[in-house]
Amino acid sequence: MEHMGIEPGRIHFSWISSAESTKFVKVVTDITESVKALGPNKHFVKQDAKVA
Amino acid sequence: MLGYIDKIQEISERLLKDGSVDMIIGFRKGTVPLMNEPCFIKDPADVKTLVWDSNCGINLANYLTGRKEKVGIIAKGCDTRNIVTHIIEKNIDRDQLTVIGVPCKGMVDRHKVASLVDGEITDVVESEDAILVKSGNSQKELKKSDVLQQNCSVCVHRNPVICDEMAADAVDEQTGIDRFAEVSKVESMDTDEKWQYFEDLLAPCIRCYACRNACPLCYCPTCFVDENRPQWVGKTLDPTDTRTFHFLRAYHCAGRCTDCGACVRACPMNIDVRAFTKKLEKDVFELYGWEAGLSLDERPPLDTFKPDDPEEFVK
Amino acid sequence: MKVLQINKKDWAEGLEKAKTAYRLFGPVTDKKTNFSEFKELIDGTAPDMEASDTRLSPKAIAFPPSEVILEYTTDEAKDDANLMNIPEKDYSPRAVVGIRPYDAAAFLILKKNFDTPEYRDPYWCDAYEACTFIGLAVTKPDALDFSTSTKSGPFDESGLDVLLVDDGDNYLAKVISDKGAAFLDAAGVNGAADDSAFSRVEELKKAAEEDIKSTVSFDNIGKQSILDLYESDMWEDIAFACINCGTCTYVCPTCWCFDIQDETSGQAGQRLKCWDSCMYPLFTVHTTGHNPRDTKVHRVRQRFMHKLKYFLDKYEDGIMCVGCGRCIRHCPVNIDIRKVCDKMNNN
Repeated sequence: MEHMGIEPGRIHFSWISSAESTKFVKVVTDITESVKALGPNKHFVKQDAKVA
Repeated sequence: MLGYIDKIQEISERLLKDGSVDMIIGFRKGTVPLMNEPCFIKDPADVKTLVWDSNCGINLANYLTGRKEKVGIIAKGCDTRNIVTHIIEKNIDRDQLTVIGVPCKGMVDRHKVASLVDGEITDVVESEDAILVKSGNSQKELKKSDVLQQNCSVCVHRNPVICDEMAADAVDEQTGIDRFAEVSKVESMDTDEKWQYFEDLLAPCIRCYACRNACPLCYCPTCFVDENRPQWVGKTLDPTDTRTFHFLRAYHCAGRCTDCGACVRACPMNIDVRAFTKKLEKDVFELYGWEAGLSLDERPPLDTFKPDDPEEFVK
Repeated sequence: MKVLQINKKDWAEGLEKAKTAYRLFGPVTDKKTNFSEFKELIDGTAPDMEASDTRLSPKAIAFPPSEVILEYTTDEAKDDANLMNIPEKDYSPRAVVGIRPYDAAAFLILKKNFDTPEYRDPYWCDAYEACTFIGLAVTKPDALDFSTSTKSGPFDESGLDVLLVDDGDNYLAKVISDKGAAFLDAAGVNGAADDSAFSRVEELKKAAEEDIKSTVSFDNIGKQSILDLYESDMWEDIAFACINCGTCTYVCPTCWCFDIQDETSGQAGQRLKCWDSCMYPLFTVHTTGHNPRDTKVHRVRQRFMHKLKYFLDKYEDGIMCVGCGRCIRHCPVNIDIRKVCDKMNNN
C-alpha cells in the first residue's frame, strides 16, 4: 500500500491477544496519534463514482 | 530459436500418434505481423501448422485450466513455472501433461517495434538475432535484444523447469541483471509522487480485464471484481475502483507470478500492469526467498507458516 | 452538394471560432505512446488529423464507458428525497471532428439499437442528436481496413454531416447536411471550391478504395440456416485461443452491450450504465444461477453469430461490422473476424 502512495504511518498491523489489555490501549493510542498527525485520508476514498 | 519448430513438430506428431496426448496446445501463424494465435491440434497431420518464433509471448499455461484430457503443451521457461504452480494448486494433474520444453531468449514486444518504425508494419522477417521490419516502402533491421518484452529483458529463468521433452538445448541464463530495477525506481519516490505515478499509470484503464484473463494464475470461477453479493469493487471507470482492482489482483498473484508478461501483452491500452506484480514478486523474494514455480515439492510461502517468517511490520 | 476548399491554416482558426457554439471532440495523440484517442478538445488542443486510427472508437462520445443515469438521496431533509432523478447532462451541440467514415457508419448501426419505435435510450439519443459529424476521409487505408466489404468505405458519407478530404495544403469539404453547413458557417469557412474539386475527390476516393486489399464476403451467410451455422464444428477451433477478455467488444464501434449497476454511499445512490461484454462469463447469468452461455465456445460463437448472422437476418442491412479492423489489431490472441467470416461463409 505504501508503494502505491499511502503515507507511511497510516496503516498499522499488530498482534494483540484479548488478555493483553495494556498493550491494546497503548497500540490504539499510538495508532490514533500517528494517523491524526497525517491528517484526513485523501486516498482510496470514494463517495460517488467519478464517471461521466 | 528458428530451428526449434522442426523439433517441436516432430515431437508433437510422435506424441499424438502414439496416444500419449489427446491434444497439443501450441501456436499457429497469426494474420497480423508480429502475432501468433494459440491453437490446439488433435490430428497428427496438422502438426505442420504449428509455428514457433519470437512472437510467442502469450502464456499457453492459461489454457490448461479445467482440462480433463491428456495435454501436450509447448512451454517456455516462464510458462513451465506457471505449469508447476498449476500442479501445486491442483488445477491440473502432472500425469495429464506432457510438457514440450522450449528454451527462450526472449519474445519481441510488438509495441516497441511499432514505435521504432514509421508507418504501418506490413511484414516482418526473423533471423537468429534480428528482425527485418517492412513498412510502406522501407525496411529497418532491429536487434532482437533492443525490442524484447520488458519482462524478457530481466528474465533469469529462460530454460524450462519441468519438461518431458526438450525441443532444443538449454540456453545460458542471464546473469548480473537487476530484476527489480523498475520497482526500485518507484520505491525511491516520495509518497505523493508514488500516488501520482500509479494514478497516471492507470488513467487509460478501461476495465476490460484482458490482463486478468491472459494471466494463467487468474482462474477463479468468479473473480472478486465480478462478485455482487456482496460487491467488493465498483465496475465503473472510477479511479478508486480501478486502482483497487489492479492492486488486489496483484495481491492474489503474490508469490505465484512468474513475470511472463502476458498481462502487459494483452492490455489494449498498453498499461504496464507489471508495476504492481513485480513489486510483490520482489517483496516475496526478499521476505521469503521464494520464486514462483521452481519446484513441485515445496509449498508457496503464503500457503505455509514458519516460525521465523519475517514480521517486522507487525508491532 | 457543395464542395468547399479550406486552407488548413484557416481550418485551425475555424475550429477555434466554432468552439463558441460547439463542444469539440477529436483524435488526440499522446506524444509518449503515439496512441490516439477521441477526447474533448480543450485548452486549444487541435485534433490530430494525421493520426493513424484511434485505439478506442468514438462511440464513447454518445455511449461513455460509465455514465450516471439516475441518482437519488434518502435524506428526508432534502426536497427530492426518495426520488430518482436524471442528473444534469450537457447535451449542448457537439462537433466530432476527424471521425473516419466507418466510425460514422457505426453510429448508424448503434442507432438501430438505441433508437427504436418501441424504446428510445434518452442518454444515447440525446448525445447522438447533439453531435455534428465532421468526417475525415481515409486517404491512406491501413492493412486491416476492410470497410469496402461492409456498407462503408474510406470516402463513404453515411452518418456524416461533412466529409473532409485531405488534399495537401487544403481540405476539400463535401457539405452533406444542413447540420454540416451550420458547423462550417460557425467556423467561418466558406471558400467554394472550383469545379475540378468534385473530380479530384472522386480520384482520391478511387485510389483509396483500390488500396484496400483486405476483403470479406458474407453473401452465403444470409442463405444458410441459423442452426447450420450454430451447430457447425468449426467453433471449437475458432474459440480456443480466446481469453474472453472483452477487448474486441470495447474497441468495436458497433458493439452496444451495457450493464446497469447500482452504487450507494450512505444516503445517496446512483444508477450507472457501463460497457459490458458478451465475452464475459457473467454476461448471461440468470438470477437462478443458470448460465446459458457458460462456456467460452458459447460466447465466442455468440459474438460472431450476432455480428455476422443474427444482425444480418434481423435488419437485412448488411453485417454488424464496419471493417475498421480494431478488433483484429488489439486482440491479444489474434482472433481475426475476417477469418471467421470466411469460415462462416464457406460453412
